[in-house]
Amino acid sequence: MNEIKPDEILDLKGVPCPMNFVKTKLKLEGMAKGKVLKIILDGGEPIQNVPASVRDDGHKVLKVEKAGEKWLVFVRKE
Amino acid sequence: MKAKDIKLDFNELRKGGIIRQRQKGYFILRTRIPGGHLKARMLPKLMNIAERYGKGYIHLSTRQCIEVPWIPVRDIDRLIKELKRLGIEKGACGPRSRNVVACPGASVCRFGFLDTEALAARLDKKFFGKDVPKKFKIGLSGCMNSCSKPQENDIGFMAQGEPEVNLDLCIKCTLCAKVCGEVCKRGGREPAIVMDETKRPVYRKEFCFFEGDCVRVCPVNAWKTKRTGYAVFLGGKVGRFPAFGQKISDFVSEKEIGGIIKRAIDTYNEIGEKGERFGDAIKRVGMEEVKKKIL
Repeated sequence: MNEIKPDEILDLKGVPCPMNFVKTKLKLEGMAKGKVLKIILDGGEPIQNVPASVRDDGHKVLKVEKAGEKWLVFVRKE
Repeated sequence: MKAKDIKLDFNELRKGGIIRQRQKGYFILRTRIPGGHLKARMLPKLMNIAERYGKGYIHLSTRQCIEVPWIPVRDIDRLIKELKRLGIEKGACGPRSRNVVACPGASVCRFGFLDTEALAARLDKKFFGKDVPKKFKIGLSGCMNSCSKPQENDIGFMAQGEPEVNLDLCIKCTLCAKVCGEVCKRGGREPAIVMDETKRPVYRKEFCFFEGDCVRVCPVNAWKTKRTGYAVFLGGKVGRFPAFGQKISDFVSEKEIGGIIKRAIDTYNEIGEKGERFGDAIKRVGMEEVKKKIL
């Protein structure tokens, strides 16, 4: 699980809710099934909302980890 | 017809949602809209009433009803007949149970555990307009956010959910413990979810207050809602001496609610003095006594 290689990266530092999820959704829509997106998110609301919203859209959240002040979320497009 | 020839029983009118206005000769029509859920096709009818009988505007009441002010006294008879024809129901005022207030709950809200809107419609059919010593308000909220403020009602129901975790699905993201810790800290409480040394959540039910953040935040659905129900608050009021309702039960099922409200109204009529709110009567008699009669 520690060696997840993302196919795309989306940096959402400083992007507030719900725009961060909108951008994530659009990004995932443009990706092929099975590809992995790495999202960089702020703490607080963004990390509490975006992974759950991605889950609700039917994608697979593979990993969530804290990296300093930021959070890294790995999502597989389903 | 001259004004003095019109005989009006004010109490009878109040019973039927026609309220005397401060301006002489004018009345306010209060409608009945349980849970604030109104079919859109009713709006043109209400617009029509407001334009023809009132001054072309409506007022949205604090209990989710539409009110039409400025009805001249001479038009009341005609108005009442027309309301019947249009299917517009009149609201309650005076010493009786009022419009049931509710948030949309699980019908559309992502926080709602249960469908409070549908429950409001059912409870309204059973408990609207019952005679009581002062007034009786029922409020429902679909989660602990309490948007519809159930604690301010004579009896309030707040939906709650008990979570459970499937550790096989957990990806050790720690978000559940994070949100739980933050919420509990704000309330000066011990967190209900803590992490063990392998970053897996440990659920401590004794500290949980069943508000569902862990289930919402979990990105892999490892947390699920095991059971839902309503917390019951009794004796809430605002007015001159405001007091929140006291919680008397947890996880009451929808089936039990009808009986609880019925017994609450009966008890209020039994112990309440004329003009006294239920909360004040409870204070006088003692909550334990009242609880025994209701639960």
